Amino acid sequence: MQLNSGNGACLRQTLATLSLGLLSATLGEKTDRAYAQAQSQPDSPSGNSGQLIPTSKELDSSILFYQEANGRVRAIEPALQYTAHGPDSQTFNLGVIADSVTGATPNGAVPSDHTQTFVTPLKAPGGSSTTVTSASGGSTVIHLPPTPGQIAAAALGRQYTTPPGQLPVDRGFHDQRYGVNVGYSQPLGEISLVGFGGSYSIEHDYQSISASANIAQNFNLNNTTASLAVNYENDSSFPYGGVPTPLTVMTPQLKSVSSRGRSRIDIVAGLTEAMTTNWLVQLNYSYGISDGYQNDPYLIVSVVDPVTGEPNVYLYENRPTSRRLQSIYLDSKVDFGPSVTDVSFRYFMDSWGIKSTTVQVSDRVRLMGSLYVEPEIRWYQQSAANFFHNFLVTGQPLPQYASADSRLGQFVGLTYGMKLGFDLTRSTEIYLRGEFYRQTGNGHPADAIGQLKQQNLFAGVDAAYGMIGFSWNFD
Amino acid sequence: MKSADMSAIRRGALFAAACVAANSLWACAAIGPKPWEKDVLARREMQVNPYPLQTATDEHIYFSKEAASGGRGFAGGGCGCN
Repeated sequence: MQLNSGNGACLRQTLATLSLGLLSATLGEKTDRAYAQAQSQPDSPSGNSGQLIPTSKELDSSILFYQEANGRVRAIEPALQYTAHGPDSQTFNLGVIADSVTGATPNGAVPSDHTQTFVTPLKAPGGSSTTVTSASGGSTVIHLPPTPGQIAAAALGRQYTTPPGQLPVDRGFHDQRYGVNVGYSQPLGEISLVGFGGSYSIEHDYQSISASANIAQNFNLNNTTASLAVNYENDSSFPYGGVPTPLTVMTPQLKSVSSRGRSRIDIVAGLTEAMTTNWLVQLNYSYGISDGYQNDPYLIVSVVDPVTGEPNVYLYENRPTSRRLQSIYLDSKVDFGPSVTDVSFRYFMDSWGIKSTTVQVSDRVRLMGSLYVEPEIRWYQQSAANFFHNFLVTGQPLPQYASADSRLGQFVGLTYGMKLGFDLTRSTEIYLRGEFYRQTGNGHPADAIGQLKQQNLFAGVDAAYGMIGFSWNFD
Repeated sequence: MKSADMSAIRRGALFAAACVAANSLWACAAIGPKPWEKDVLARREMQVNPYPLQTATDEHIYFSKEAASGGRGFAGGGCGCN
């Protein structure tokens, strides 16, 4: 067993957990703690390393409060993560998460100098009218001509309006999501660490299930860890009212197709290097393949008059069914004594023509006792997908793909905030975070037509969020 | 790609490279510590992902609001938010 071969073997194992903890961030795996425990007696090279990793457990919890400006999305997200470490570097973790999301979300249409009216399928599974008693969320329930085989009482739609000059948003947006993830890892023979994991989440109109595996090996006196992780995800989308036919006119009528799916495979190859006694570097390369239904079934694109710019009709968006993604991620973390500085860089590109650069810097400053503050700033930039259009023009050829989703457009995102943390006791820590996130983009593109020249066509986000976290270590 | 896009990307890359270089030069003493010299690296704040729930929360927010994702870990979001 490697743990009994000396302190170096112990470090080799724990460096592996360090790397895999990064790779499995989305699974919430917390193998890093085992690494920290293993380093707790670093000046005892001849010690029995098997004693350095006691059996221990951790309970991490957090709750997020997220709010966007102008009455847009509001979310509350509690999360809980349990981790148990075995005596031979085994790690088991189990996490649960819940989301409650409400508010207004852009529907993709452009603003107009006239009132715009939109009618969507009523958010009642199957179109049942049994629970419909009144309008809500700024919407009005209306009766529609029944489709063949549908009873008249169930033929309902939800209508909402957008005043002149305002960004069209659907204020009836609300959803809940519940998710669970589980993971296990341990050394295996000469392999420093082998791990498996899985996750499942369910929403009113979406389901996701994934499975992952990872492996890590240490070299160079355990200062270098090479790792490889693969994740398979299978998602199903079953939107209210059915799956709309792409690039057809928006309609509240029920669609014949009730669900569509997509699959995704991601591979992450990582290299972790302990450069000095206080400097750690991580380099990751990621490649992903996503095939299947990529559309947002609720998003539309305005087709405007070529002279006035007034919307004539709204079409459901259409995205390519295949997407290839890759990124390079570099992280450098240095302990300067009074503070720990973390600088990370990511370059991303995909087959949709999107290129993105992200730079994130944080500095954890030690204050009195266990108290610390950690200011943070993140700069993000992305180019537009090659099928992104703020609007389409009547009379021009319809493109094969089109989306007005601002998340596929060109913009810059800036996040800045502060974290404050301290130990309540020797085994408990609490932290508070406050962050501001703002996207800026071009709301007045050169190709704007007629009244669109006076409108702000950028539908970016301006948000603030706070987070409270609590962790408890126990035997 | 528009020249403005390339310019923005170059500026971002240059800024990142400068930050990493400054970060690196400060600490650069020798490559690879001895096993008994890793007490600082063992601290929680020196782990690559010391607060997984915080990381997961941030990644989830950015996944739902931006086109790029992943890099630090897997890129999938496990939700219908994007």
